[in-house]
Amino acid sequence: MVKSLIRETRFLAKDRGALFWLFLAFALSVIAVSFGILEVREQRQTIATLIEEDTADRINALQGQEDWGSAAYYAFHLTYSAPSDFAFAAMGQRDSSPWKHRVRMLALEGQIHEADTRNADFGLVGRFDFAFLAASVAPLLLILLLYDLRASERTTRRHDLLVATAGSSGSLWFPRAFVRVVGLALLLLIPLWIGAVVEGTAIALTLQASGIVVGSLLVWWLIVEMVSRINASASVLLTSLIGLWLALAIVVPAVSKAAIEAANPVPDGGEILLLQRETVNDAWDLPKEATMKPFVERHPELKPYEDIPDAWAWKWYYAFQQVGDQVTEPLVQQYRDARLARDSQATTAALFSPTSLVERAFEKLAETDATSMIVYEDNVREYHAELRAFYYPLMFPDEPYDSALLDDLPVYAPES
Amino acid sequence: MSGITRIAIEEWRLWLRSRVVIAAALIVAVLIAATTVLTMNRIADEQSQRIEQQVAAEQTFFAQPDRHPHRMVHYGHYAFRPPPALAVFDPGVDAVTGQSIFLEGHRQNTAMFADTKAAADLGGFAALTPASLYQLLLPLLLIVLGHAMFLRERESGTLAVLLAQGQSGVRLAVGKAVALLAVCAIFMVPLIAVAAYSISMGESALTAFSLVAGYFAYLCIWAALVLAASIILKQRAVSLGALIFVWLFAALIVPRFAINASSAVIDAPGKIESDLVMLAEQRKLGDGHNAADPAFMQLQAEVLEQYNVETIEELPINWRGVVASYSEAELTELLNSYAEERMGLEASQSRLFGLFGLASPTISISAASRTLAGTDIATHHRFLRESEYLRFGFVQALNEKHVTDLDYTVDINRNTSPEASRRARINADAWEVLDEFRFVPDSANERLNRALLSLTILMGWMLAAGGLVYYSAKRVRL
Repeated sequence: MVKSLIRETRFLAKDRGALFWLFLAFALSVIAVSFGILEVREQRQTIATLIEEDTADRINALQGQEDWGSAAYYAFHLTYSAPSDFAFAAMGQRDSSPWKHRVRMLALEGQIHEADTRNADFGLVGRFDFAFLAASVAPLLLILLLYDLRASERTTRRHDLLVATAGSSGSLWFPRAFVRVVGLALLLLIPLWIGAVVEGTAIALTLQASGIVVGSLLVWWLIVEMVSRINASASVLLTSLIGLWLALAIVVPAVSKAAIEAANPVPDGGEILLLQRETVNDAWDLPKEATMKPFVERHPELKPYEDIPDAWAWKWYYAFQQVGDQVTEPLVQQYRDARLARDSQATTAALFSPTSLVERAFEKLAETDATSMIVYEDNVREYHAELRAFYYPLMFPDEPYDSALLDDLPVYAPES
Repeated sequence: MSGITRIAIEEWRLWLRSRVVIAAALIVAVLIAATTVLTMNRIADEQSQRIEQQVAAEQTFFAQPDRHPHRMVHYGHYAFRPPPALAVFDPGVDAVTGQSIFLEGHRQNTAMFADTKAAADLGGFAALTPASLYQLLLPLLLIVLGHAMFLRERESGTLAVLLAQGQSGVRLAVGKAVALLAVCAIFMVPLIAVAAYSISMGESALTAFSLVAGYFAYLCIWAALVLAASIILKQRAVSLGALIFVWLFAALIVPRFAINASSAVIDAPGKIESDLVMLAEQRKLGDGHNAADPAFMQLQAEVLEQYNVETIEELPINWRGVVASYSEAELTELLNSYAEERMGLEASQSRLFGLFGLASPTISISAASRTLAGTDIATHHRFLRESEYLRFGFVQALNEKHVTDLDYTVDINRNTSPEASRRARINADAWEVLDEFRFVPDSANERLNRALLSLTILMGWMLAAGGLVYYSAKRVRL
């Protein structure tokens, strides 16, 4: 076995066609990984700058404020989701979903759907990241490497002779294909490993990612192997394999996506905003009890301060901001549930498409999948709730304004 | 029957006998038909929905009761962007950008609720549109059909006979080209149908025709590349492999690589980042809610002098309205300068992306296609500009009402009692200041102008690929 592997490696070293595909795989992997690292660094840099400028801006905004209400009105707070140490391999949803916000204590629904995303062309075309390379391009390269192992020998009329002299056909074709698959896997993975070392990715995570790549290559190898047993010319084999790739990489995902989205309609996001706006604006004209009643139901501890005698008061203002959020909760929940349902069904559907499966698995490892983006949104919601929990006990009992207390303002600390 | 048509017909006869070719062509045809019908339905739904929402938003605004005018500034309004007629073929960036925007005083919001945010994520190619099928799949079909069309004659030994009969390599190539172009022409039928449909929906014939012509040119480029490969290369498998590589490179690798490159070369700061810089400047301008802010002292002196009075109470107009109007104008100028800078950077990113068309015709056709369809990023930017214009218009009109229609003393005492607050309102007729907003695509000429660079690059590709066929066909020897 070892002998035949060495022999096949020697053959491979002289096969210029195969070497070209292998070199291409390596070059593409280097490109994908280095652009990924570049982008992740830039995002981290952006976040670092934002944290600094956000703090400066808040200090500035809080200067000279004389009551809790104005302090909460003028102070914005940065929330963000930093790219994980594996995000360089799969940018996933980070190009089309927002990963940074600046929120304040007004109704959250008016703020959290702001999308500070990149150039829309990026989200439309997509990046050339490692996940795309491993999921979509690598199978094509594998097909190009393996499709004519048998057929080329048939063309040169050595096929039958080789099979007859080799004893078993397995000991002939297996080492030949094995050397190519291993070569392709290594050349794809080496840049990824270097990238992982540079980025400090956990070894277990890198191993999982490598396992996914190897596993997907094995699946495609199996597919190629089955197809090339057909006694047909190399070009017919290649055509059929490309057809299979198209079916698995494009048609199956597109059909499942269309079916999943039709089966799980999301509520029109505009409805959330509209409802929130109407509630907040109507509150101005309603008797104050109409706002304070649902508000203290949520905050029983503030019941003693339920009566607002003044025509206008910050506490009433923030109460109706919160009631605006409360009213939209069912819609928001529906929107969130539908997104999660779509995502979990996509997980099932991906089982029928190796390319979707690989891409989703990478996004999961890199924390750039839909679930991670929802987790980020949940973090923002939680932080916003902390802000309210900070201000309410000061604002409602009319505690005297003390700017020193603002040093204890909650700081957004993403759980990583 | 001339030799050329005979060659072409012979090619077709062979294709029709091949099960692989028939199956491939049928699958592609079914995919195109199904995707077109689905996209058409979806876009038609969205279009009527958005227009209804726009009208509803306006009616809700008009139907608001008597209020303090500044309350209406914060009540705000919505702008919707209905998809243009040709979006049924190429929905473009619409799915990524979100198609509605909330307009209110003192703020420029982003377009929210992009479809992609809630989409089922199944990887890179899952969002199939008729345009992406034309860009990705039809070239593959041409490759499958044509990779051996010339070298087949060589393999079977008929090339020698044909040449001996006095057929030149070029005539032979022209015959094959006619056969392949006929395939391209047949697959243009669905696009022509979509174009005709869009014209019936009010699209200009010029853009619809340019779109058809652009895609036909794109398919011709691929047909020429396929033919050239089948002339130059001597083995089927090699020719097929080489063409698949070209496809992989042009359709999958270069476009994404171009995105990486343009995002790395031109750094466009996000809105939050530029907003932070701006907020610091804004603070210098003063807060429009607080008329006693020192930044307004100079304005106050000027206005008092203009009306020749000593105190703001004596002014015949409402000082708070003056302040609101003044600071909105100042702030908007600032917001716009930052927004323009951001959009400018994004536009140069997209221009750089378009230049990668020199390395892949797929980039050129997709850029031209989005532009002609009116679903490119430039159209989105115009939507942002126009909705901003709408925003500024109604906010300032309301501020004007605040200045003229509401008494200053009544206004500052509005929080003293519920009765006082009821008095500090103006008649709801004033809400009629809101302009009607109907977003329409750019004019045909404008879109064509913008697509010109991509279309020119495409023509360059066509000349180069045609030249390659001619050059290699001329040198055909046994």
